[in-house]
Amino acid sequence: MITLNRACTRARGCQQLLIACRRLSQSALDRLAQPVQSYISTSRDPYLNLSIEHYLLQKSAPESTILLLYVNRPSIIIGRNQNPWLEVNLALLNPIQQSQPETEPPGLGNVDLVRRRSGGGTVFHDEGNVNWTVICPPKAFTRDKHAEMVVRALRSCGVERSRVNERHDIVLDQGERIADVDPDDTHLTPYTRRAGIWEIKPPKVSGSAYKLTRQRALHHGTCLLSSPNLNIIPDYLHSPAKPHITARGVESVSSPVGNILLSNEHFIDAVRSRFDKMYHSSKGIEHVEVGEGWLDLEPVQQGYAELKSREWTFLQTPQFTISTSADPSATMEVELTVRNGAISGGHLRHRGSAELVDLDERSVGQRVHDITSWPETLSQMFAGVDGTERHRLGAWFERMLPVQGTRSRMVE
Amino acid sequence: MRTLLLRACRPLNLTSTSRLQTQLLHAVSLRSLHTTHHLNIVKPFLLADIGEGITECQLIQWFVQPGARVEQFDKLCEVQSDKASVEITSPFDGVIKKLHYDPDDMAITGKPLVDIDIQSEITEEDEAKLAGGGGEEGAGSAAKESIGEHEIRVEGAAGVDVAEPAAENPGSQPTHPDRRRSSGKQDHSSLATPAVRHLTKEMKVAITDVRGTGKDGRVLKEDVHRHVAQSTQQQSTVHTPMQTSARADRKMPLTPIQTQMFKLMTRSLNIPHFLYTCATDVSSLTTLRKTLNISASSPDQRLTQLPFILKAVSLAFQHHPLLNSSLDSTDPAKPQLTYRSAHSFGVAIDTPSGLLVPVIRNVQDLSINEIAAQLRQLSEKARDNKLAPSDFSGASFTISNIGNIGGGVVSPVISEPQVAILGIGRSKIVPAFNQQGELVKVEELVFSWSADHRIVDGAECARCAERVKNLLEKPGKMMVEMR
Repeated sequence: MITLNRACTRARGCQQLLIACRRLSQSALDRLAQPVQSYISTSRDPYLNLSIEHYLLQKSAPESTILLLYVNRPSIIIGRNQNPWLEVNLALLNPIQQSQPETEPPGLGNVDLVRRRSGGGTVFHDEGNVNWTVICPPKAFTRDKHAEMVVRALRSCGVERSRVNERHDIVLDQGERIADVDPDDTHLTPYTRRAGIWEIKPPKVSGSAYKLTRQRALHHGTCLLSSPNLNIIPDYLHSPAKPHITARGVESVSSPVGNILLSNEHFIDAVRSRFDKMYHSSKGIEHVEVGEGWLDLEPVQQGYAELKSREWTFLQTPQFTISTSADPSATMEVELTVRNGAISGGHLRHRGSAELVDLDERSVGQRVHDITSWPETLSQMFAGVDGTERHRLGAWFERMLPVQGTRSRMVE
Repeated sequence: MRTLLLRACRPLNLTSTSRLQTQLLHAVSLRSLHTTHHLNIVKPFLLADIGEGITECQLIQWFVQPGARVEQFDKLCEVQSDKASVEITSPFDGVIKKLHYDPDDMAITGKPLVDIDIQSEITEEDEAKLAGGGGEEGAGSAAKESIGEHEIRVEGAAGVDVAEPAAENPGSQPTHPDRRRSSGKQDHSSLATPAVRHLTKEMKVAITDVRGTGKDGRVLKEDVHRHVAQSTQQQSTVHTPMQTSARADRKMPLTPIQTQMFKLMTRSLNIPHFLYTCATDVSSLTTLRKTLNISASSPDQRLTQLPFILKAVSLAFQHHPLLNSSLDSTDPAKPQLTYRSAHSFGVAIDTPSGLLVPVIRNVQDLSINEIAAQLRQLSEKARDNKLAPSDFSGASFTISNIGNIGGGVVSPVISEPQVAILGIGRSKIVPAFNQQGELVKVEELVFSWSADHRIVDGAECARCAERVKNLLEKPGKMMVEMR
């Protein structure tokens, strides 16, 4: 940013800015000012793709409308304000690290855990899922607008069962054809069953999330086209800690999911085509490739580093409490409060005893994701816990708040 | 100069050169307007309606702290509501005085978010936004996310603040005609500069009445003066805008009682209610009361029907404890039913601020006189707004008496975790036949029992209702059941 600031104080206009960013081409930065822009990423790195998306949100001209398409390697993306311990089975993420014999590695290898900057719930990304983002001016924004655009794209590929539901997600209606409906209505299909208690919930193929700033509105969504991992996704998104955690923050609304069974290329072409039609640009829209080269831009590099950092991933968690009280097999009642991803308080009580042991003050501030051994940490947290109890309790916490191994930080 | 530099150093959008110019000129012109009214007041800035019927959102992080100096459009905080993460910016220049929430708290729409010591001109428009008027829907287009929307409108107004309008950049031009096409108060922001609007306030003129001769129909100071000179004979025209605005719809945030009622009753939607009504002959009860009240020491020591009814219900509950139980259905697969030993009756009271339901505890151990005394105490406290949260907690059953207003058959709504509720209307004299077949006058009061059909079946509820009826129709029966 230093280079850019120096450029700003001269205040002679945009030209100065461009000189500062040497490696990315002049035309790429000019493009940020165009009224309609379309990008596709060649990278499978979720941290990079989200950083490029964020850069486009911050730096594109306020009146412009942008489409970005990207595909990620297997990764779990949690919402801005979610709790990874609650939403994700963290033990499965690093199969090499985990030492519990009963959990079988599903064979996906390393799965990244990413906290995005938009709201909403947790989703699983892999190469059978295409992500789409539209950035536009707030006055033109509604929550459904671009979900409808994607539904029209799907319908143009023959997916006539797709529609936008009340939660702005895209679902595939199941069952028999019931009625003729207006083909332009993106919220109804000929297969839509009206509300009733016996209604089968149609599987979700795309979920949406939003980020709204003063000048820009970002809407991004997934699209499950041909994921080979549908049957193991539930394992990743089911945390053993869930019944034991009380938390504030947005919980994911879980829905049955399904594949559309369309190729990535077919979908990408259809979405681009609908986007072109909607934002008809007299010049014709060029679909620009983005990728690792964009790491040369300092804001992208900074955003990338932030998204990869464990601080961002774990310390942005809203306050929560984890307690053994709901687990009948636990012999001790232990409760820990975690604020900003670090222990802020807690107590321990032997079952059947009235005496409460408070958390040792020196443990306040211990970052949960930095804990390397629960039995050791527990003996520091609470005085007078003997060997067997410590071991048992340690194993319980290890299951609930798994120790985080070092993650690979290589850009693919 | 320092302020100007700070504005210049903010990351520039590539097409915003001319906006930068207008912003610089805005900063300058604020200073030149310093000689007129400079408002220095601390005002709470309310969390605007972000649409989608969302009433609260979680505060994720603050970008400012108390004491921080902010300029218009500086980021204040980030909030999250279900799927959307939203950045909220300051509409004013000023100093942050107080943050109303901690990170992770739920911020409520329409309630104060921060207190700002405002150090720029504010107008009636901006005041309305402070009073929670930020929920207007789009300027013609379908823009539903009003936070972003209303910030843009304010920005447009600021850009207009220059005597010599700078060359407007083509990007923002389309927004102005859109805004003017919309109806109602939104128009004002594009019709005049803050200085002119302040003048219209001082001269007590409605800006919509003034014909603007400036660029794009903008109202200038001369226009206002001219209008005042002309309209001294036309006093009535000033009043009409006020009349129409008095009939306009008002968007109001829910009062605390309404909010609580909304939450509670929404949960009650899960309960399958059935209604059992029972007409009770309270003539004997009334005769008894009249006798007792003759020897009452003062008018407010007189016994009403309600203490008798409460005691009769408590006596009936000795035989029908199911209606006094609590249902915990947080896990729908494993509902937990608890038979409560204490009869803690919530008594619904109508107060000027709305419905309140304070609780009388251990009715099974109280005499009718004691119950009456407690009722009187609770009413007084309710009137004086002295009820504490502890007065409302732990009811096992509720009685709702609407009789002082009216009512025959009513259909009351059960509050969880209770499983039943009794509603009482107003008694009235009706014709009936006595045992000899003669027509007599009878004072009839309808008891409307509502119960949760997941736990209570019709027969059990009916048996309890009939028992209460019998106890009240022959008050002597209550005497023999008393402990």
